[in-house]
Amino acid sequence: MTANDQRTTDLNKVLNRRRIVNLTGLAILNLLISLWMGQQAYNWMPPQASAESVLVDKLFSFMTTVGTFIFLGVIGTLFYSILFQRAAKYDDTDGPPIEGNVKLEVIWTALPILLVIWIGTVSYQTYDQMSILGDIAPKAMETVQTVPLPVEPKKMVATGVEKPAEAAPIEVRSRQWSWEFRYLQQGISSTELHLPVDQRARFKLISEDVLHGFYVPAFRVKQDIVPGKAIDFSLTPIREGRYRLRDSEYSGTYFAANQTNVVVESAEAYEQWLTTVAATEPTAAENVAQAEFNKSQETSARRGWPTIKPAPAPIVNYTSSEKDSHE
Amino acid sequence: MSNATLEPLRPNQPPSNPSPEPGTPENWRTFFSFSTDHKVIGIQYIVTAFIFFLFGGLLAMVMRGELITPESDLVNRTVYNGLFTMHGTIMLFMWTFPMLNGLANYLVPLQIGARDMAFPRLNAAAFWMVPVFGVILITSFFVPGGPSQSGWWAYPPVSLQNPTGNLINGQSLWLLAVALSGVSSIMGAVNIVTTIFRMRAPGMGWFKMPAFCWTVLSAQMIQLIGLPALTAGAVMLLLDLTVGTSFFNPELGGDPVLYQHFFWFYSHPAVYVIILPIFGVFSEVFPVYARKPLFGYKVVAISSLLITGLSLIVWVHHMFASGTPGWMRMLFMITTMTISVPTGIKVFAWVATIWGGKIRLTSGMLFGLGALFAFLFAGITGVMLASAPFDIHVNNTYFVVGHFHYVINGAVVMGFYAAIYHWFPKMTGKMYYEGLGKLHFALTFLGINLIYLPMHPMGLMGMPRRVASYDPEFAFWNVLASLGGFLLGVSTLPFLLNMLSSWTQGKPAGDNPWNAIGIEWLVSSPPPHENFEEIPVVVSPPYGYGSDEPLVSNNPAGKPIAEAMSSSEMEGAIA
Amino acid sequence: MSTTNVDPALNSNVVVSSHAEPNHTEHEEDYRMFGFIVFLLSESVIFFSFFVGYIVYKTNATDWLPVGFEGLEVREPFINTVVLVSSSFVIYFAERFLRKENLWGFRLFWLMTMAMGSFFLYGQAVEWMGLPFGFKDGVFGGTFYLLTGFHGLHVLTGVLLQGLMLGRSFWPNNYDGGEFGVEATSLFWHFVDVIWIILFVLIYLWK
Repeated sequence: MTANDQRTTDLNKVLNRRRIVNLTGLAILNLLISLWMGQQAYNWMPPQASAESVLVDKLFSFMTTVGTFIFLGVIGTLFYSILFQRAAKYDDTDGPPIEGNVKLEVIWTALPILLVIWIGTVSYQTYDQMSILGDIAPKAMETVQTVPLPVEPKKMVATGVEKPAEAAPIEVRSRQWSWEFRYLQQGISSTELHLPVDQRARFKLISEDVLHGFYVPAFRVKQDIVPGKAIDFSLTPIREGRYRLRDSEYSGTYFAANQTNVVVESAEAYEQWLTTVAATEPTAAENVAQAEFNKSQETSARRGWPTIKPAPAPIVNYTSSEKDSHE
Repeated sequence: MSNATLEPLRPNQPPSNPSPEPGTPENWRTFFSFSTDHKVIGIQYIVTAFIFFLFGGLLAMVMRGELITPESDLVNRTVYNGLFTMHGTIMLFMWTFPMLNGLANYLVPLQIGARDMAFPRLNAAAFWMVPVFGVILITSFFVPGGPSQSGWWAYPPVSLQNPTGNLINGQSLWLLAVALSGVSSIMGAVNIVTTIFRMRAPGMGWFKMPAFCWTVLSAQMIQLIGLPALTAGAVMLLLDLTVGTSFFNPELGGDPVLYQHFFWFYSHPAVYVIILPIFGVFSEVFPVYARKPLFGYKVVAISSLLITGLSLIVWVHHMFASGTPGWMRMLFMITTMTISVPTGIKVFAWVATIWGGKIRLTSGMLFGLGALFAFLFAGITGVMLASAPFDIHVNNTYFVVGHFHYVINGAVVMGFYAAIYHWFPKMTGKMYYEGLGKLHFALTFLGINLIYLPMHPMGLMGMPRRVASYDPEFAFWNVLASLGGFLLGVSTLPFLLNMLSSWTQGKPAGDNPWNAIGIEWLVSSPPPHENFEEIPVVVSPPYGYGSDEPLVSNNPAGKPIAEAMSSSEMEGAIA
Repeated sequence: MSTTNVDPALNSNVVVSSHAEPNHTEHEEDYRMFGFIVFLLSESVIFFSFFVGYIVYKTNATDWLPVGFEGLEVREPFINTVVLVSSSFVIYFAERFLRKENLWGFRLFWLMTMAMGSFFLYGQAVEWMGLPFGFKDGVFGGTFYLLTGFHGLHVLTGVLLQGLMLGRSFWPNNYDGGEFGVEATSLFWHFVDVIWIILFVLIYLWK
């Protein structure tokens, strides 16, 4: 070939090499930022109060890293175009007639497929480890024996604690608009859920009227409660503290106020609480929905549309209070 | 010669023209009539829908006003619940679906070289149902008991509770309106599908059809398959509510979760009905303002159909926390994640279209880019949501609200604005004011990010959605979001100002102000009745930028071929 | 470049499509049938949704039939089924007569179809009135009346459409431009039939 051709080819090689180096550099920078973002992701979550939360946060961190990488890559490319590939002011002509590039299209089909497989696999493994149980008991709620006891999780990630002797599940009664927890074995009830730390907590979720949702953000688990069914549910708290429990499935007028607290405490404190509460006379619990509703009935001014009357406040041995702080 | 100007062959019209062209301000009365012209109907849909968009936005402003403080202190809780229910319902059924039908109606016949839709009168009838069910929905605010307060999903048993005990209540009116909306949509879908299958111009094989028409076809096919399932569920819910049957009433042996399956079997694919035409807008807009062909056009077209197919098998990802068994959660997690593949193909194709082009940042292009940005972000959080263990934490929290608003208000609304700025000159014959357009973009883009980005940490921290009040730890993010919301409200003002003043007083735009390649750009602005003097004969695939091939071999507007080709050059540079 | 010779007739904005594509009516016929088929496919999804609901309810129910109810009588509905399915053949012959332009043959068989459809509806009403359970009697009652009622509504619509076509057949030269109305009504009738067969199997035969 001619000297010119040779020079062009050399130049192309150089440019190609420089381009590859540049791209690799940018990719590495992207990766570093993405990894950093993945670490930041932990800060966006509530405290890790359950074994499940450790798994979920790890999964979320991983997805944040991958997501950031893709986002920065694509947006970076777009921004480059927008900044440096604008048409000259009086240039009306068309750009190059590039209609496609098979190699590129194969890559950007294959890589996402691989990515989906990767993320799907990690998610599946996380789910497996969490062994979230949402088994639905048959309609007859009254029977005590409904479904076989839940399968033990394959691996206790955080604490490796063995499950102690079978404790009866705590019966969770959700209503419009209150929570009641019945410790059937001890014969007590409470509107604040108390759990011993590092022990598998098992529940029977029951709704007395409409759909509700049992959701503790600090535990990273949630389960809709379906009226007409008793749902088995379990989790493992690993950190002492008081956390928020919120109704997560829209349940009507005072849905937003249908909240209570979960207290995770040492085994001794838990036993102590059970004993104390058993000796307490049941009284009507503090109930935000009831209080607001009564107040609205007193004022003669019509402030809203008709609402379903709240269920009466549960009569419990121990009542939670909105004044208690939570994490 | 003097006639060889911007509007050749359009003779001067006397003011009292018996059949003036749609889109010109002189014949505004046409837009209030039962016109069977797809261009008139398209504009009717768009304008009607936008009015409801503003109303739905107003409801959102009140909601953000409530949520700027943790307590329920602005409106009564029942009012707030009615607000979020009607906000969602109006935005979906009165704004998004009619608006997309409007764009499709206007553009599809022009882009495929047809004189009108297959069934013009059915078309008009379908449109006129929109104000009817809109009025029914608005009326529901005024009946005793107020509007529906069960969310736009209307999940039983809450939706069956009916505090007033009346037969005619907000919920039953809601169901009636949604049922009518379904009928109107089915009518539209039959029309559009028939038109695209049967009325493409000679020479326009499937792979010579613009990508916008591909996406519209895919979307309308979803409507045909999915809507009847929603109708079935809605009928059963209405019977439970009014007659006292027990389909979903657990006290009488019904199954509330079955309703969720009926509901989501349609409502998930519905979101692809919403986004697909916007994908089509991207595919039309980016080539014009980068002056490059759509990268991988054929694959982009086919991916629309892939999305249609996949969209029908992912719905249970809305029910990961509903008590679905583990195998179901895993199955639908896989299918949901898979749908990101054909979607990703499109995104990369658009980036590659833009790359190396000669980019012009007109208002249409800016909104297209902003919409793509929003969609990319939402797509990533969407894949996160597909992951069942993660979704169980954020399901029914503001994380989801942030995700879908990035799509619906970010990608879809900004995509809509891109479409309007791009085709406004064609529809009206006038040019809009570019400065106002850029201002509109800046305010909108800032507002979208300010309102919806904070919703992600809110949700991660555990703030549920649909709440009239919240715990104080969420206050900071909510204040940011509310500020963004108010900014969004304000951002519509330059747009309204621009549209109204440009339509009446803007400069004449000419046939092809963007120098774009497409059959719609070969006819006058606005196009004449029945669109073409001669049906075009298509000889090339679309997006032939950078090559010399003509799109058509004849003169659809009645101009000589040479003049048809060069007229695009004569239109001059874009601002 | 030269300008075109502007045909003054083209100056008006009302474009007369007489110069347009030939077989304008044929195209329209084709569109309408295509559109109608698309519509029927969509409509069938409503029925399929109800069928799925029925199957889910039945397989999950602990007490399926209302208290005291032994099961549905199959004999009369089976007779109705035979009548309805046969009417599909009858309507097919009616169409054949019309294509051969034998108007009275068409009208006879068309009327027979209407009679058979009406017989079906009558039979359905008789069955309904003899049943000891109502619409509100549990999920079984609800789904039974919903399915048979929704289907019956379609049969009624079919019979009414047939009546309309029958009336129109007396219009002079009505069918010179094609028989879309008759073809569509006939297709609708076949659709109603197929739906009934599935329904019959699900509700009456599947125990």
